[in-house]
Amino acid sequence: MGTAMANSSATATGGTPPLRRDPGRRVLAGVCAGLGERLGIDPLIVRVAFVAAALAGGLGIVLYALAWVAIPRGEGEAAPRRIPGDRGSVEVALGVALLALSLLLTFRELGIWFSDAVVWPLVLVAAGGALLWRQSTKPAEEPAEVRPEPEPPKPTRAGTVSRTGLGVALVIAAGLAFLQATGSLVAARDVVLAVLVVVIVLGVIFAPWILRLVRSLSAERAERIRSQERAEMAAHLHDSVLQTLALVQRRAEDPKRVAALARRQERELRGWLSGRTQRDSAERRLASALEDAAEAVEQAHGVQVEVVAVGDRDLDAKADALVAAAREAMVNAAKFGQGSPVAVYAEASDGGARVFVKDRGPGFDPAAIPTDRRGIRESIVGRMERNGGSANITSAPGSGTEVELVLE
Amino acid sequence: MPKPDVPSLVGGLVLAALGVVLLLDRLDAIELSFGTFAPIAFAAMGAILVALGLSRRA
Repeated sequence: MGTAMANSSATATGGTPPLRRDPGRRVLAGVCAGLGERLGIDPLIVRVAFVAAALAGGLGIVLYALAWVAIPRGEGEAAPRRIPGDRGSVEVALGVALLALSLLLTFRELGIWFSDAVVWPLVLVAAGGALLWRQSTKPAEEPAEVRPEPEPPKPTRAGTVSRTGLGVALVIAAGLAFLQATGSLVAARDVVLAVLVVVIVLGVIFAPWILRLVRSLSAERAERIRSQERAEMAAHLHDSVLQTLALVQRRAEDPKRVAALARRQERELRGWLSGRTQRDSAERRLASALEDAAEAVEQAHGVQVEVVAVGDRDLDAKADALVAAAREAMVNAAKFGQGSPVAVYAEASDGGARVFVKDRGPGFDPAAIPTDRRGIRESIVGRMERNGGSANITSAPGSGTEVELVLE
Repeated sequence: MPKPDVPSLVGGLVLAALGVVLLLDRLDAIELSFGTFAPIAFAAMGAILVALGLSRRA
């Protein structure tokens, strides 16, 4: 290594390229690509030489690690196949793994050891299992939302697949190591071979159907996401723009009031389009959001709205939908309650929330609502169901209305 | 006073410790074999990586 570095510095002054790792053409760290560039040969030859040396007692691995540390990184761009994510976390994870390995080897050397046939497979299973569990417990990808500001890059699908593949490979390696150590590998090989042949035959036969099924499921998922986004947008427009237009028609004789309504709606719509509303809601709590909604309804409709809240929780996307549904219920109570006060009662905790909106108006028959009216069907019931909750409306002509919104 | 670069500090200490171990082996104060040196080498690399990763995350 020292010779290589000396050669590098000596020839660098003679016009040949300095010895640098080449991240633009790397497989691991760009050591072989850099050496190939420096020596004027195909990097593949250097890679083959390193692999051969690695198979000869692991010398190639040690040499590669040393070269990785010793040779500085070149200017080339990183290849896109690099595992994305937080580089610091990856380094910490690798460091902890090496420290754990060092501890195991120390115990082994001191004789505090069970058996190679048991411990190493267990270590591999633990590592592979940890990778697989980490992938499986990550939240599923959510549909894209309006994102006004760039966010830190999220792990791509390729990165997820490669980590899952590594986890599976480690667990399989553990199984093979255990079978080898217990002398059962030959018997297992025959079984695995038979299963493999059957799987390949079935795969060839059913591949077209499986492919079609996967594509169909993907298309269905994309359509479902689009449909949910359309429904969310329609519900928002109904609750904001359409409600304001209805108020403008009702207050047409009062130009100042109409202008104030238009300004407020414009501000709200601009905030929603720019994503400011979503950012603001991340810093608020459910109870204060319900009180703000009640105040807005009071101002717009001139009806008293009383809010009683027990407990509180963060205003995440689900709680935001709960507030929007409660606001729509308040608006309905103010519009159709014939001036009777509206009572809002909320119970909330980090586990869930329940909101009741009551009025003592004339009531109505929920089954008699025309199908083209979106207020209750989409802005309340549909919105709660899309966000994993439910809405229950209890009303009858002459007995007032109670809307119960539940978020588990 | 400038803040020390933690990864460089840890790297230097680890290299110094490795040097001491190799020197003791050379002086026959300890008997170093692959079985005893491997855990030390892994621990050294692990310590450097942890320091580097924590510093990058901070």
